[in-house]
Amino acid sequence: MNTRKPGLGRGLEALIPSAPQKTIDNVPRQSDHDLNPGVYGLVNPDGSVRDRLPITLDEMKGLYADMVEARTYDTKSIAMQRQGRLATYAPFQGQEAAQIGAAAALSDGDWVAGTYRDAALNWRAGYPWRLLILGRTGDERGGEVPEGVNVLPPSITVGGHMIHAVGLAWAEELQESGRIALTSFGDGATSEGDFHEAMNFAAVYETPTVFLCQNNGYAISYPTSEQTRSATIAGKADAYGMPGIRVDGNDVVGVLVAVREAAERARRGEGPSLIEAVTYRIGPHTTSDDPTRYRDDDEAEMWRDRDPLERVRLLLEKAGGWDQEWQDAIEQSASDVIEAAVEWAESVPAPTREEMLSRMSASGGASG
Amino acid sequence: MAREFRLPDIGEGLTEAEIVTWLVAEGDHVESDQPIVEVETDKAVVEIPSPYAGVVLQHGGAEGEVLAVGAVLVVIGEEGEATAEDLLVDHAAPIVGTLSEEAEVIETPSEIVVETSAKVKALPIVRKMAREAGLDIETITGTGPDGRITREDVEAATETVSSPSSPAPAGEVPRSQAEAEGVRAETRTQMSRLRRTIAANMSKSWAEIPHVTTFDDVDATRLLEVRAALSDRHDIKIPLEALVVRGVLPALSAFPEFNATLDGDDLVLHGSHDIGIAVDTPEGLMVAVVIDADSRNVIELADEVRRLGEGARERTLGLSELTGQTFTVSNIGAVGGGHGTPIVPYGTTAILSVGRAQARPIVYDGDLAIAPVMPLSISYDHRVIDGGTGRRFMELVMENLEEPALFLAG
Amino acid sequence: MAEVNLALALTGAMDTALRSDDRVVLLGEDIGRAGGVFRITDGLLAKYGASRVFDTPVAESGIVGAAFGMAIAGLRPVAELQFMGFSYPAYDQVINHVARIRNRSNHRFTAPLVIRMPYGGGIGAAEHHSESTEAIYTHIPALKVVVPSTPRDARGLLLAAIEDPDPVIFLEPIRLYRAVKEDIPEIYYTTEIGPIRVERQGDDLTLIAWGSMMKETREAATRLEDLGVSVEVIDVRTLSPLDRDGIATSVEKTGRAVVVHEAPLTGGLGGEIAASIQERCLYSLVAPVQRVTGWDTVFPLKRSEAHYLPSVDQIITAANKTLEG
Repeated sequence: MNTRKPGLGRGLEALIPSAPQKTIDNVPRQSDHDLNPGVYGLVNPDGSVRDRLPITLDEMKGLYADMVEARTYDTKSIAMQRQGRLATYAPFQGQEAAQIGAAAALSDGDWVAGTYRDAALNWRAGYPWRLLILGRTGDERGGEVPEGVNVLPPSITVGGHMIHAVGLAWAEELQESGRIALTSFGDGATSEGDFHEAMNFAAVYETPTVFLCQNNGYAISYPTSEQTRSATIAGKADAYGMPGIRVDGNDVVGVLVAVREAAERARRGEGPSLIEAVTYRIGPHTTSDDPTRYRDDDEAEMWRDRDPLERVRLLLEKAGGWDQEWQDAIEQSASDVIEAAVEWAESVPAPTREEMLSRMSASGGASG
Repeated sequence: MAREFRLPDIGEGLTEAEIVTWLVAEGDHVESDQPIVEVETDKAVVEIPSPYAGVVLQHGGAEGEVLAVGAVLVVIGEEGEATAEDLLVDHAAPIVGTLSEEAEVIETPSEIVVETSAKVKALPIVRKMAREAGLDIETITGTGPDGRITREDVEAATETVSSPSSPAPAGEVPRSQAEAEGVRAETRTQMSRLRRTIAANMSKSWAEIPHVTTFDDVDATRLLEVRAALSDRHDIKIPLEALVVRGVLPALSAFPEFNATLDGDDLVLHGSHDIGIAVDTPEGLMVAVVIDADSRNVIELADEVRRLGEGARERTLGLSELTGQTFTVSNIGAVGGGHGTPIVPYGTTAILSVGRAQARPIVYDGDLAIAPVMPLSISYDHRVIDGGTGRRFMELVMENLEEPALFLAG
Repeated sequence: MAEVNLALALTGAMDTALRSDDRVVLLGEDIGRAGGVFRITDGLLAKYGASRVFDTPVAESGIVGAAFGMAIAGLRPVAELQFMGFSYPAYDQVINHVARIRNRSNHRFTAPLVIRMPYGGGIGAAEHHSESTEAIYTHIPALKVVVPSTPRDARGLLLAAIEDPDPVIFLEPIRLYRAVKEDIPEIYYTTEIGPIRVERQGDDLTLIAWGSMMKETREAATRLEDLGVSVEVIDVRTLSPLDRDGIATSVEKTGRAVVVHEAPLTGGLGGEIAASIQERCLYSLVAPVQRVTGWDTVFPLKRSEAHYLPSVDQIITAANKTLEG
C-alpha cells in the first residue's frame, strides 16, 4: 500500500468553474475576514447563485429544514443554560451551513471527529439530539452514540482530535472499508502543534481524511488575522502537500460540494484535503463569554446579513420552494423534536457511583 | 401550581448576579423560554429566559438588587393564584436550576471513643498484642531502644498477669496458695467436638466482628393472639420462631445488609433468606437453617422449625441443614431469657434474639395497661451496619411483630 | 523453549502478535528499516511489510494520536516511543484522550492500544534518555502500566497488553534488555496484567521492586539470605492497577517491607505502596516501611549516574533498619 505519490489539488480544482473562483492563489488576506470573489461558493447572501447548483430543489429544502432544526437546538440550549439546566454551552449560530453542508457530504459509516461547537455537524452525521443534550446536562452517557454511528463524542481540548481522524482514516484504509474520516476544528486550533502533526501524518500516509476548518474569525477573543501570518488557513495545506480550498462557510451548497469533492478524493485513495470554511460566530464563544469585550456589534450585524439560513430561504422562495406555511411547519416540527429530546434527557436518572466507577475499564472496575 | 425559578449559576462558578432590567412585569403572561430579565454577572450581561409558561406572580428582587445564586428569581404560576409572599417561603413545586446531583450521604458515627495512648512507644503490632491480652500498654515497662515496648515485654507482662500457675521468676511470689496447698482438685477434660467448634466460632466472631447490640420491646398481644388462632385452626403448635422468622423477612428485604456476608472488602448481599434458628441441645447451641424462608407460609415454617429442632437435638441433620444461614433468629425466651447480647454467627452480619413475653405495664393510648411485652435484642456487625440503620431495622421488625397482619398479608 | 534475553523476548512477542492477529500494527520512529533504536522491532518490517510496520515522522503526539484513532477504528496498534523522556509531547493525547475515551463515550468507543517506551538509566545516556517517571502514568485513572523484568514476563505481558481491551503503557527497562536471559516458551501465552509475581519466598522481610531495580533487589536478597535472613522478593510488574492484596498478603506474613524504585522519592509509586501497606497491614508490621529510591534530583549525566541509582548496599541497609529492634 501507499505506493501513490501525493497529488496537488486534483478533484478539488475540477469543481472551480471559472477564473474568479480561485482556491489558493490570490486569496484575500486574513485581515479581510470576508467573502471575497476568491472564495469558493455557489449561493450568494441575497439568494442568487454563482453557478449551476449540483443538487435538487428537494435536497435544498432538506438542507434548509436541517439548518432550521439545528438553530432551534442552539437557541433552546442557550435558554436552558440560562435556566441552569445545562452546563456551559458553546453556541454555533451562524455556522449552521458549514456544519450541515459538511455532514451532508459524508456517507454512512464515515467518521466524524469534531469539537464542542459541532453539534449540528454531529447530529447531521447521526448523533441524536437527545444524547447531545444529555451530554450537556453533564452526563457521560451522552457520549454513548448509537452503534453504527461513527461520530466521536466532542473533543473539549483544542486540536488534539485532528490526529484522531488521521488514525481513524488510516485504519479504515488498512482495512479497506472505503470509509473516510472528517475532522472539524476552528481557526484557533490551527495554532496548535497538533494541527501540524495531524496534517503532516495525513499527507505522509495519504490517509483518507478531510480537514474542515470552520474559520469563524476568533479564537475566543483573538482574531484570526492576529493568529497567523499565513494569508489564509487553506493556504497552509500547500506546505503539507495536500490541496486546500477556501469556501464560503455560510453557503451550505458550497460547503457540501467542497466537502463532497474532498471526501470522494479521499475515497479514491488520493489522500487528505483541507477545507477552510469562512464563517462567523454570531454568538459568544460560550455562555460564559461576553463578546462585546472584543468585537463590534457592527461586525456581527454585517454577518447577520450573510445568514446561512436566510439566503437559502430567499433562493427557495425564488425557485417556488418556500412559503410561510411550510416555514411554520418545519419550525413546529423542529421545536417538537427538540422538546422531546430535552424531555428525554431530563428524565434520565443521575448516574450512580457504581456507574461512575464502571466507566474506567472493560472489566468495570476503577484502577488502582 | 406556582413554581419558583431560582437564579442558576450561569457562568461557571458565579455566586451572584445583579438584576439590571425586568423584561416582564408582575402579572404579565410569559411563554416558556421567553426572556424575562436581564442580569449582570462578573462575566457578562445576559438575558434569562423563563423555564415555564404562566403568569409572573412575583419578582424575586428589584432592578439594581443583587441576588445570590440559588435565591428565588421569579415565581410563575396561574392568574389569580395565592399571594406570592407565601410562595417565596414555601409551598413551591420543585425547581429547575440545580445541576449537580447530591453525593451519597455517608453516615458518620455519633460517638467515637479514642483509645490507646500515644504516650508510650510501641509498634502497632505490639499494641495489638497487649490489647488482645487485656493489658493496658501504659503499665508495661519497655526494654527496647528508647524505652520502646517490645513484643517480649508484652509476652512477659502477659505471663505475669494471666498465668499465675506458670513458674515465677526466681525470688518472686510463690505459686497460688490453693494450688500449693492442694486443697481443691481441679478437673480437666477436653471439650466435646461440638463444644470446641462452638468455641472456635464464637472466638472468631467475637475477635473479628465489632458488635453493636440494640434493644427494644414489642407489645406481643397481637402476635400471641395470631399464634393461638393459627394453632386452633390448624390444630398444631406453632413455634414462636415460625412467626418471628416470617415477621423479620420484610425488614431483611428492606435492609439487605442484614442478610449478607462480609468477604474481605466485598459485601455479599444474599439473594435468598436462609434463616438460622438457634437450637438449644444437650451438647450445646446448634443453628439449623430454614432454607429460602420466603417461599414458606407460617404453617410450613412451623413444620420446618419443628423438624429442624428435633433433628438438631437428635443429631440427624445433614451438614447443609446446619450451615449457610444468612441471618439468625434465637428464641432465648424459650428458656426464660430477656434481653441479651447475642453473638453474630461468623459469615453473617446480624442476629435477632427474642426474649420471653411477660405481662408488664405499658402506656397505651395515654393510659397504663398490661400487655405481654417481648424483649428484642439485635446484634450486628458494625463494620457493615451503622447505628442509624440498625435502629431502622429494629423499628421495622417491631412494626411487623406488633401487627402480624403486616407480614402475614405479604 | 529457547534461551532469549528480554529484548528478544519482546521482539518475539510482537512477531507472534503480528502473525496471529491481522489487526496488530506497529508504528514509531525508526522502528522499520532501523529496527528501532534498541532493535526491539528488528526484522519485523521485512517480515510483515510496510502495511503492518510503519516508520513515522518524529512526532510523539502524532504517533500516539494516530494509534488512538486506529484503535478506535478496530486495529490493535502498538506504538513505540523511543525513550520515556520523549513521551511527554504525547502526554496530552495519553491523559486527555487515550485514557478517557471509554469514559467519555460510556464504553461505546475504546482504545485498545499499547504504548511501549524504554525507561530507566544506567547506560550512560544523554539527558532525557534515563527517565523513570512511571508515577505520572500510574496517577492517571484508566491507564494500565506494566513493566516486565524477565524475558518470560516480557513476552507474556506484552501479548496480554496487545490483547487488552484498554490502553496499556508498557515500560521496558533499558538496562535489563540484554542483561537477563531465560528459557521461555515460543508458544502464544499471556501473563495476566494485575497480579504481582512472588519471585522468591521468605519469612522475615518483603523486598518490593519492579523493572530495572529488580537486578539490584535480587542481589540484595541473595546477600541477605547469606546473612541468614529469609527474604521474600516481589516483582510488582503491573504498576497500575496495583495488586494491593498481593503485596499485603506478603507483608502480613513477613511484617517488614522495603520498596525499591529508581524514580525520585517524592511522589514516587513507593509512597503509594507504603501507604497501602500501612492501611492494610499496620498491625502486622514489626518495623516502619522503608523506601530506597533515586534522589529528588533530575537524572544525572553519565559521571554522576552511580551516585543516583539505588545500590545493593542501600537496599541491604534499609532492610537492616527493618530487621533490628
